[in-house]
Amino acid sequence: MDEEPERAKRWEGGYERTWEVLKEDESGSLKATVEEILFQSKRKRVIESHGQVRLGMVSVSMEDHDLKPNRLTSTLKVDSAAQPSRCTPVGIITTKNKRAEKLTDLAGNPKKHIAALKKAVDTVCVGEPSLYNSLNLAIQTLKHMPGHTSREILIILSSLTTCDPANIYELIKTLKSLKVRVSVIGLSAEVRVCTVLTRETGGSYHVILDECHFKELLMLHVKPPPASSSSECSLIRMGFPQHTVASPTDQDAKPSFSMAHLDSSSGPGLSLGGYFCPQCHAKYTELPVECKVCGLTLVLAPHLARSFHHLFPLQAFIEGPVEELQEDRFCQACQGELKDKSIFTCPTCRGVFCVECDLFIHDSLHCCPCCIHSQSAP
Amino acid sequence: MKLNIDGLLVYFPYDYIYPEQYSYMLELKRTLDARGHGVLEMPSGTGKTISLLSLIVAYQKAFPLEVTKLIYCSRTVPEIEKVVEELRKLMEFYSKQTGESNNFLALALSSRKNLCVHPEVSSLRFGKEVDGKCHSLTASYIRAQRHSDPNMPVCRFYEEFDAVGRQVPLPAGIYNLDDLKDFGRRKGWCPYYLARYSILHANIVVYSYHYLLDPKIADLVSKELAKNSVVVFDEAHNIDNVCIDSMSVNITRRTLDRCQTNVDTLQNTIQKIKETDAAKLKEEYRRLVEGLKEANVARETDIYLSNPVLPDEILKEAVPGTIRTAEHFVGFLRRFMEYLKSRLRVQHVVQESTPQFLKDIFDKVCIDRKPLRFCAERLQSLLRTLEIADIADFSAVTLISNFATLVSTYSQGFTIIIEPFEDRTPTIANPVLHFSCMDPSIAIKPVFQRFQSVVITSGTLSPLDIYPKILDFRPVTMASFTMTLARTCLCPLIVGRGNDQVALSSKFETREDFAVIRNYGNLLLEMSAIVPDGIVAFFTSYVYMENIVASWYEQGILENIQRNKLIFIETPDAAETSMALEKYQEACENGRGAILLSVARGKVSEGIDFVHHFGRAVIMFGVPYVYTQSRILKARLEYLRDQFQIRENDFLTFDAMRHAAQCVGRAIRGKTDYGLMIFADKRYARADKRGKLPRWIQEHINDGSLNLTVDEAIQLSKHFLRQMAQPFRQEDQLGLSLLTLEQLESEEMLQKISQIAHQT
Repeated sequence: MDEEPERAKRWEGGYERTWEVLKEDESGSLKATVEEILFQSKRKRVIESHGQVRLGMVSVSMEDHDLKPNRLTSTLKVDSAAQPSRCTPVGIITTKNKRAEKLTDLAGNPKKHIAALKKAVDTVCVGEPSLYNSLNLAIQTLKHMPGHTSREILIILSSLTTCDPANIYELIKTLKSLKVRVSVIGLSAEVRVCTVLTRETGGSYHVILDECHFKELLMLHVKPPPASSSSECSLIRMGFPQHTVASPTDQDAKPSFSMAHLDSSSGPGLSLGGYFCPQCHAKYTELPVECKVCGLTLVLAPHLARSFHHLFPLQAFIEGPVEELQEDRFCQACQGELKDKSIFTCPTCRGVFCVECDLFIHDSLHCCPCCIHSQSAP
Repeated sequence: MKLNIDGLLVYFPYDYIYPEQYSYMLELKRTLDARGHGVLEMPSGTGKTISLLSLIVAYQKAFPLEVTKLIYCSRTVPEIEKVVEELRKLMEFYSKQTGESNNFLALALSSRKNLCVHPEVSSLRFGKEVDGKCHSLTASYIRAQRHSDPNMPVCRFYEEFDAVGRQVPLPAGIYNLDDLKDFGRRKGWCPYYLARYSILHANIVVYSYHYLLDPKIADLVSKELAKNSVVVFDEAHNIDNVCIDSMSVNITRRTLDRCQTNVDTLQNTIQKIKETDAAKLKEEYRRLVEGLKEANVARETDIYLSNPVLPDEILKEAVPGTIRTAEHFVGFLRRFMEYLKSRLRVQHVVQESTPQFLKDIFDKVCIDRKPLRFCAERLQSLLRTLEIADIADFSAVTLISNFATLVSTYSQGFTIIIEPFEDRTPTIANPVLHFSCMDPSIAIKPVFQRFQSVVITSGTLSPLDIYPKILDFRPVTMASFTMTLARTCLCPLIVGRGNDQVALSSKFETREDFAVIRNYGNLLLEMSAIVPDGIVAFFTSYVYMENIVASWYEQGILENIQRNKLIFIETPDAAETSMALEKYQEACENGRGAILLSVARGKVSEGIDFVHHFGRAVIMFGVPYVYTQSRILKARLEYLRDQFQIRENDFLTFDAMRHAAQCVGRAIRGKTDYGLMIFADKRYARADKRGKLPRWIQEHINDGSLNLTVDEAIQLSKHFLRQMAQPFRQEDQLGLSLLTLEQLESEEMLQKISQIAHQT
């Protein structure tokens, strides 16, 4: 995404007391406490990131009244930023006016979701959302997923109220029995029913502080959850099609339709090149996808590599006080001086890193630079 | 953990302690050491009960001769049960730590209704019915009659208890009401009488205020409690009103009518007895001549708690001749009743002092002061003699006779107001005679005099110095404790203006103002959109609430609010209110969100806690002043001014602010809880109002949040709610507001703790 999510513009922020942020924290030490807590949760995310690829589903719930006009927009913006890094099937459900609607079906291809979300920017949100209806719809979809997948629902809830046709606690029991994990990101405040929902199903519940925090929380959900021991293992057949482009000079080449566009009216129709299924030679312009003809899962190697990181994640680094370090206090990665009070040590190569690098390594690199270095050196 | 409180070893049944609990125990210890009375204010949810219990139990164990008994008075049955549960935890900890079995006896006592195990009697619905039925089965003469006629109904539980129960004391242990019932069922003993008997030798007694303050009940139950007991009044912010209520009498036409039938029954019974058993009446006469000497002896030897209804002088004298025989006494009652009836036939309001009343009664019907004073005692004696089984039926005549005794005993501190109609319905004649006590110290005086230490404690007692004044005692310690917090979990905001800059206030002049009502509606509407789950809104009175809600309905505000949350309303009807409350909690529970509109001084504001999601915000619309036009209140204010030099305005503000603090305090019931407290009236910003809020609320009101507009308040609340929704674990509290033993003993922490208590 090109635009950097920044803090809201001053004039959009409403009445704020900026001078109070500067308050010395000897009396209540609130600021420091909250920041401390945030730091810890940052850390937690790194520790917990091992598990398997999951199957997810986003349910966006918005309401228009009382919100800053850009809250819906900013949600969608942040949301779509988060999508591409996920290589698993995702579906989106929206809820408004006491109903739940499926925005996109379960599918692995992020582009379609982004397009749908971009379109959704213009929708008006009216009426109360219904947590029950949207969860119910999500269950309908997730129920048929095979056992090796982890089923997960992420709810982004801006509303503080929900209009339900039946007792939601029954539904929570059903969710629990189906082993569906429900996590919630609240955009306004802590709602009791969400606390119960997440606690019962083993998900997490967070409330955003501002847009930056929102993105951070959303990214937290991009990582798959720890694998549950009950999930089964099974072999999946996969195809790795090559992208072939017929040269324009080739007279025999004829533009053809992509199979993926058969059912959707929009999108480009004819194209020359594409990915051809190794089994049945059906053509697709985008991957990953499930072949419409023979049902083979088609992926690219990088996709699999990305999944691999989630399957076999880098071990969490060991946190320790900076005083323990005898040698020069420099981060092995960025070469910056270690100023924070804690440092992070790779358990394999004993390399020392600062917080920022630790996060970067686990979030983006997925491998320890020192380990790689020692391997390549003879 | 084991604590060292100023040289006293205190067992505390939890692994962690709040700093303010430690501080509270220090103050309490000082009070007990000095053998004086104390006034202590500590916020609710900071573990007041367990601190009290741990310290006093430790004190009892360390100095068994100096403090023999703890009398813990609370308000409601659930609260009593909670105290017993805490006590049970404490005692388990003791036996685990010391390894020896527990030799403490602690029990709860409540009315017959809550303790009765008799299959027929306990199925009755009202407390009065249960009492009456029980009495008709267990009164001494009924049981005497049974000897001759074995077919008389009888309560086998009481019989069994009477036969063997008194010889074996209740085994040591902790008994709540259910435990007592179980024990009673197992042994076949009456739990109520067992409990009443056992409180005499129990180490800890937990019961309701009334057993100690209401002279009629105190006389029966608490008369013989040991002098060196410690008395604790928990949730005592309303104790003055309890005292006043227990000494006041209201007489209507209905009371007099029922009294009339009572007297007729008395007359008939006397006639009957005279024909069959004249000796009995003779015997009574002889007893009365002897006077009430026996009672006097008992009181002089300091066995009994003195009874304010029955002052000492009466005991020294014999019952005057005019009412000594039964017929004369009934005739006397008739005359007195006729006099009262004539007084109720007034067209205008009359207010007079007790001497004026006595003079008038002497002039009109020639009733002297002296026989009036013996009226209550004489009636009791008569009822005993006549062997009337169902005392409950005679409540009216008992009331009248109590009134007679009180009115002739106290020349000060009481006033008589006769109103021909209610203020609200000036056309319907409904005369009431209010005999109103204006001095709460009369009812509580025997308690202060008799017991060596009396501790008055609550979450909201500010300003502390007014309680000793109106209850007329001298405390040795007065302290207010703050709440140490790891995060600021309460957010008091004073909203003084609407978005259109209209001053918000519930004061009389602007009460009907359309703009104010609209802005109040706006405030509630906007809060309903940003506060999750439950909001509780308090109004100053039912009338005011009705007006405002009607007006909101017309303006369509209610409809908009209902889009965000459901609305429930408290009414004066208890059944309706409890229904509304139940539905309110359900709506909070399943995420729909709800608003409860209720009234300060109502049932909701006093007894019901809104923990966590049940009350994320409390909005106080207006300052809950008491209805100042009431004559009773006016008389009381005048009395306070003359006797205690408390200015009317000071008392009114004090009273309003303690109720406001009670209301907003409903939201925070512990350190992990959080809630908004919104004071929607610009008068709260004034120092004289704000200064009367409890210290733990006051210190979180900063100058910036004194006169906010609705918008600003919304913005601050949004921010607050998001901050509070961040994960908060126990580790975050440790060391700041939650201490382990090591942390507690550090020098630095002890320094800090010494600042928590604010002495006055």
